[in-house]
Amino acid sequence: MSELQRFTLPGGMNLFVHRTNKFKTVLAQLVFHRALRREEVTATALFPAVLQRGSAGFPTRRLLAYRLEELYGSELAAEVVKKGERLLVSFSMELVNDRYLPGENGLLGRCLEILSEVVARPLSEGGAFKAEYVSQEKEQHEKVIRGLVNDKAAYAMERCLQEMCAAEPFGVFKYGTLSELAKLEPENLYGFYRRFLAESPVDLHVCGEVDAAAVKELAGRIFSFPRSGTAEIPATLVRKQDGEVRYVREEMDVNQGKLVLGFRTGIKYGDDNYFPLLMYNGILGGFPHSKLFLNVREKASLAYYAYSRLEKHKGLMVISSGIETGNYDKALEIINRQVECIAAGEVSEEEFANTWQGLRNQFLMEDDHQGLVVNRAIDGELAGLHKDTDGLLAGLAAVQPDDVVRVAREVKLDTVYFLAGKGGGAA
Amino acid sequence: MKGVQENSLLQEKIIWQRVEPGLEVFVLPKQGYNKKYVTYSANFGSIDSHFIVEGEGGELVVPDGVAHFLEHKLFEEEGGNVFERFARLGASSNAFTNFNNTSYLFSCTDHFTECLEILLDFVQSPYFTKESVEKEKGIIEQEIRMYEDNPQWRVFFNLLTALYREHPVKKDIAGTVESIRQIDEHVLYKCYRTFYHPSNMAVFVVGDVEPERVFTQVSENIVRRGYSRLGEIRRIYPAEPKMPARDCVVQELVVSQPILNLGFKEEEVGFDGERLFRREAATGLVLDCVLGSSSRLYNELYEDGLIDDEFEAGHVAEKDYGHTLLGGETKDPDRLYQRLMEGIRQAQAEGISAEIFAHHRRKLMGEFLKSFNSLEFIANNFPAYHFKGINFFNYLETVHSLTLEEVNKRLRTHFTDSNHARSIIQPKKEK
Repeated sequence: MSELQRFTLPGGMNLFVHRTNKFKTVLAQLVFHRALRREEVTATALFPAVLQRGSAGFPTRRLLAYRLEELYGSELAAEVVKKGERLLVSFSMELVNDRYLPGENGLLGRCLEILSEVVARPLSEGGAFKAEYVSQEKEQHEKVIRGLVNDKAAYAMERCLQEMCAAEPFGVFKYGTLSELAKLEPENLYGFYRRFLAESPVDLHVCGEVDAAAVKELAGRIFSFPRSGTAEIPATLVRKQDGEVRYVREEMDVNQGKLVLGFRTGIKYGDDNYFPLLMYNGILGGFPHSKLFLNVREKASLAYYAYSRLEKHKGLMVISSGIETGNYDKALEIINRQVECIAAGEVSEEEFANTWQGLRNQFLMEDDHQGLVVNRAIDGELAGLHKDTDGLLAGLAAVQPDDVVRVAREVKLDTVYFLAGKGGGAA
Repeated sequence: MKGVQENSLLQEKIIWQRVEPGLEVFVLPKQGYNKKYVTYSANFGSIDSHFIVEGEGGELVVPDGVAHFLEHKLFEEEGGNVFERFARLGASSNAFTNFNNTSYLFSCTDHFTECLEILLDFVQSPYFTKESVEKEKGIIEQEIRMYEDNPQWRVFFNLLTALYREHPVKKDIAGTVESIRQIDEHVLYKCYRTFYHPSNMAVFVVGDVEPERVFTQVSENIVRRGYSRLGEIRRIYPAEPKMPARDCVVQELVVSQPILNLGFKEEEVGFDGERLFRREAATGLVLDCVLGSSSRLYNELYEDGLIDDEFEAGHVAEKDYGHTLLGGETKDPDRLYQRLMEGIRQAQAEGISAEIFAHHRRKLMGEFLKSFNSLEFIANNFPAYHFKGINFFNYLETVHSLTLEEVNKRLRTHFTDSNHARSIIQPKKEK
């Protein structure tokens, strides 16, 4: 298990050092937090791409790439993640731990300097980003927004959540919209970025075989960009479903239909009912032994995949399956029946025990993956649930079968979305 | 037979042992990891549809998609399925089939010995009935349909049909909806008895385990089944011309922008082992130098909006076929094709410099070190290379033994005007 130490750096940045000796690499992840707002999301998703095009010290993408390769193929990546109604912008650096490199030392410091350089010292001209980089990255970003449709399962999932949360911030697509993108220019994007950098709460996570005091010293010295105040991030709204179920059908020229069911659980990460909900989701559709896999795939041969998963910060659950368009009624009926079964208390001892074992296994395996170690800490911070693996296992072990049935009754179907093949059967 | 291979840079070792009649077992101990990951692989993939076994009668031709179908059906046993048994132990199991191999795997944190026993048992206990084979067809049909809507998958397979005229690598791994209808329990048993003999298989274990206990357990499990020796398997592949079958294949799908894949076909095939590994490593280095993210060509194409950061270049080296693939989404597949060809010709004329060569060798060293964090990476790759007579562990040694001349020669000879083909996906126009 990794050992976590937290610090606050002079500029107000939170530092989390996850010390563990099992990895050959060090992962450094700089995470900015921002409220998920329709009017800001496009700029938030775009500027990290512009930053990676060039900084004061590495004015082209090519120079930056060359330098990272020179540092034994260190990898710099930026990512935008939606956690509830909060947008996280992460810049991560993965590097070889120089303990494995004969004759090398100080690699972490050099990589953190590049990370800080890219994030805080962009190539700018007269209070604006370099115009050429902005126009090129706008073109690339337009492709990202339009490209959602290329992965049909991801598209159907996103569309279901958009329909379901149309009136809530959560319904915003994390990459934004083409109309907002068109309004972004080198000046206004730079102005937004400067405010974002100064105001957004920021954490640095470092995971690997490192010395916490040394990391603290390095980070304090390197990440010294000016910060002012802290932007407010409203709590995520967790609603219960009280109205009628909505049915949305969209047609496309596809070979396989995609069925997505969106549910409101009313339970978020950190709530007392979270562990029972986790067990509930596992019994329903988290594993190959779960009700959905057994009944939709193994018994009825209707699908290759059928699963459920939680959006734990927003209190949602989604079910997803790829089916023949003409089998919509049959598949929906079988899926609904599985959901009703659990609420009616039909959970066998074996299903319960297998799910508990499976989740326990997942928690333990997270310790073996640097990205997951960091992600767990981020989730824990957001929810105020500061638990290590043993703490999570204890939470899981306390769940009783009655608890699962109790939360099953809280889980309500909100929206049924179907991406249907053209000319397919009746819905 | 047993042995140990150590790698001082990785600070890892692999302990191996051959269990009679011919099963190779490898263990890479990973101290401190909770997870244990095991693959049990058969040297049997989608291309093995025509073969003959010494002493077992004549040639056999089986329907496309048999290896993958067999992979699905091995999970079924009398009165249940294997997932349930792993689930009781908190383990998760899966399998995958590619062109050349089929691998069954599990990962667990507790109950390692019981899980390994289940894996060994179920892979060695085929149970196919007429009904269960029929029932599986609906599931696999949906798997095939899912891939039909996957533009990256389609552009890739369309390219293979352009590159290859005869070789079965051009066919979908899962077969087609039509070909899998011809599969029955008899053909599954026939393939099973041929390709799932221990001498055609390997076990790879990675995690915090005791190697000697693994060897003892595997050995006891295999010995009690009393396998007899299997005659040599001869895989029969049709004669494949050196030139591609077609210049270009175009398909329309519902996508936001076109996709281009460009492939270069290997002209000289028929060998494996160190020689093949060396050529694979040299090609990887060439691609890194000429098309990697710090190359001039990559950056020019990116700035002109012809590629995005998902652009990929990779090489496949198998005994009987090989190719290099480049590509990704693009606004203009014709222009991108032209620019890639021009850029490669220019690189061929200029050659790779000693500085760039050394730079990329250093980068590859870091990347290989990084990849050893992943238990899956290790246990999925090692057996596939083992079946080709290659020790994957020696990758960096192989990279370091490459000379600049060798890499430049590869750059000049592998990419020609006559050995390449294209595949393009165009956005479907709304009617």
